[in-house]
Amino acid sequence: MKMLRLGLAALLSGLIALVALERAVAFPVDGNKTVLPATTELNEDALDKPREVFQSERAGSKSYLVNLGDLAFNSPGLLGEVARQAGVSCGTCHVNGANNPKFFMPKMSSRPGTFDTSGPLFNPKANNLVLDPVRIPSLRGAKYLAPYGADGRFASLRDFVHNVITNEFAGPEPSPATLDAIVAYIQDIDFLPNPSLGPAGRLAGKVSESERRGEALFAKPFPHDPALSCAGCHVPSSGFVDHQQHDVGSGGLFKTPTLRSADFNAPYFHDGRFDDFGQVVDYFDRTFQLGLSAQDKGDLVAYLTAVGDGMQPYERDGAGATLKEINDFSTVLATAIPSGDKDIVALAVDTIGRELRELTEQYPDRKNTSVSGGEQQRVLARNSLKELVLTLRRIEMAVAAGRTADAAAEFRNYRYLMAAAVPAVLASAEPWSLFNQDVHDRHYAALRQVMQSKHVLH
Amino acid sequence: MHKMLLATCLALLAALAGARAANAGALEEGAERYRPYLIEGIGSALAGARALRERADAADLAGAKKAWLSARAGWERSEVFTAGFVPELDAEIDAWPNADSGFHAIEAKLFGAGNTDVRADAAALVEHLNDLRGKLGDIKLTPQGLLDGTVRLAYEVGESKADGGESRISGTSLDDMRNNIAGIDFAYHTIFAGALNTVDGKLDEMVTDRIGQLKAIVATSDLPHVNIADLRQTSEELVVALQSASAKLGLQRPTLEAQVR
Repeated sequence: MKMLRLGLAALLSGLIALVALERAVAFPVDGNKTVLPATTELNEDALDKPREVFQSERAGSKSYLVNLGDLAFNSPGLLGEVARQAGVSCGTCHVNGANNPKFFMPKMSSRPGTFDTSGPLFNPKANNLVLDPVRIPSLRGAKYLAPYGADGRFASLRDFVHNVITNEFAGPEPSPATLDAIVAYIQDIDFLPNPSLGPAGRLAGKVSESERRGEALFAKPFPHDPALSCAGCHVPSSGFVDHQQHDVGSGGLFKTPTLRSADFNAPYFHDGRFDDFGQVVDYFDRTFQLGLSAQDKGDLVAYLTAVGDGMQPYERDGAGATLKEINDFSTVLATAIPSGDKDIVALAVDTIGRELRELTEQYPDRKNTSVSGGEQQRVLARNSLKELVLTLRRIEMAVAAGRTADAAAEFRNYRYLMAAAVPAVLASAEPWSLFNQDVHDRHYAALRQVMQSKHVLH
Repeated sequence: MHKMLLATCLALLAALAGARAANAGALEEGAERYRPYLIEGIGSALAGARALRERADAADLAGAKKAWLSARAGWERSEVFTAGFVPELDAEIDAWPNADSGFHAIEAKLFGAGNTDVRADAAALVEHLNDLRGKLGDIKLTPQGLLDGTVRLAYEVGESKADGGESRISGTSLDDMRNNIAGIDFAYHTIFAGALNTVDGKLDEMVTDRIGQLKAIVATSDLPHVNIADLRQTSEELVVALQSASAKLGLQRPTLEAQVR
């Protein structure tokens, strides 16, 4: 999530150097080889986060299994030692289950939003010695989007997740229950609601002329091969996919990606080569000799944009959003503590504690030069979050020692604090926190300035 | 019957008060034993800062870097004290990331820009440390303040240094951690261990064990090989143990942040 990091990209460059030395047991430190592509925003400091929509929340609340899956999804421990050291979890690339267009890892990414799943970093055995990153996909609506993987080589989401953990990242074999939970979590992530889409994926409501023309063009057979059309693969009534792999001249067989919520999924194509729909339409026009006019292209882009739209794609990141996520994670403890499940409690304490420590860093301490004022409020915020971290640790220690009654008492105290006291303290400190845009900008500008003094002036 | 119960309670309270008084004496003696270590640590930081000022005057970059490292080590060893007793000075001397003065401002120039244009900053650092050094002989070292500082530092040690930590430009964050842990180790065993062992041997054993674990975790060749997860867990277990110890020692539960004065 946050922290005083100058970005994951910077962090991992040092790791790569270590991997080159065949010492892939370590985590990254900023080093002289750190390179941040110009205009790349750092992974950790974005204030807007993709909004996560859960199917189950429409009908009530998320299940224990979904919350456990969410927890595991955001746990670096799931993906093995290298990821654990680097603080990389599934959620690092798939922020709130969406993609992460800002993610850039030197030597593992060709451009922001891509990642080489067969690179040397996490599992040297899976290294194919070629830099061939694929774009990081959004997981919204994954339930409807089989097969899985950019090339669609996995029919089952469970098998795909297992492969990511154990092969791509060399993580330890997950328990069947953990795997089930992660699959349940991913399957619960829905597309963003889009009022422009009616039954069978047709445009509905207030539709512009351009969008209407684009919809017709989308279904129109290609001039040189009437068996083909855009809608033939991106089937509107089927989530804009056909569950098949196709060779569209981009370098192999790749599965049809959905167009739902796709406005927020850039870059496009399996390798993320295109920035926007305009470039994608140009590519198909050239490759399939569609003979599109400028207006046709504009109409198709308007249509794609209408289909790919979604309500409230982002939410402002603040203490409230983080606390909600932490509260969801914490519900797992309500089940795991009474049953004395040491492994799940340890997982929860590790992940939630990490989140709380990162949240703490959103409230700069008195040594931080980026902010002045609100010292008392910041001290209270930091102190209360640290107390929560320690309460969780006491829970973990009590469960490990078989003292479940003590753990339950600590958990009651934890929930009591999280219900009102801590949110109130954090709210009062918010103006002096990194959730405040001005403070945020000053802080990261200061960090960049310091790091640049090292890299530029040498 | 009622009178008997009351008498028993009073006797118990008296016994407890006696135990606390005994603890208090032992702890205050321990705090005094800590003083020479503190004076030595700040003295070492001061000597390093003076050498830094001289080397900067001589435009000797390598020498200035070496002196900065020496000053830094002394400061980090003393953080149990500085975090608990002089947090304002700590904030001034140790400000970051782009401080105008203090250790990290000098660090950026020496280790980042690679120049020795740090005379004014070094002089200010010498002045701060000299003032502090002058006060150390008389300053009241309360066991409570030293436990507060120990606990705060123990928690801080568990913070992720995945980004290179506070001293990322000089690359000395691992040394910072080692010096912090050495400071915790010394403070605990000099001031608190004996008294805690008397009232709860197992808890003393737990604290000692966790400090030993922390030392082992940071005894790696470099920062990338520090096991972050183990470091965090052990740091938190140490803080939990020290919080429990506070009650046994008749002290208040330590707060994790220095209060604003």
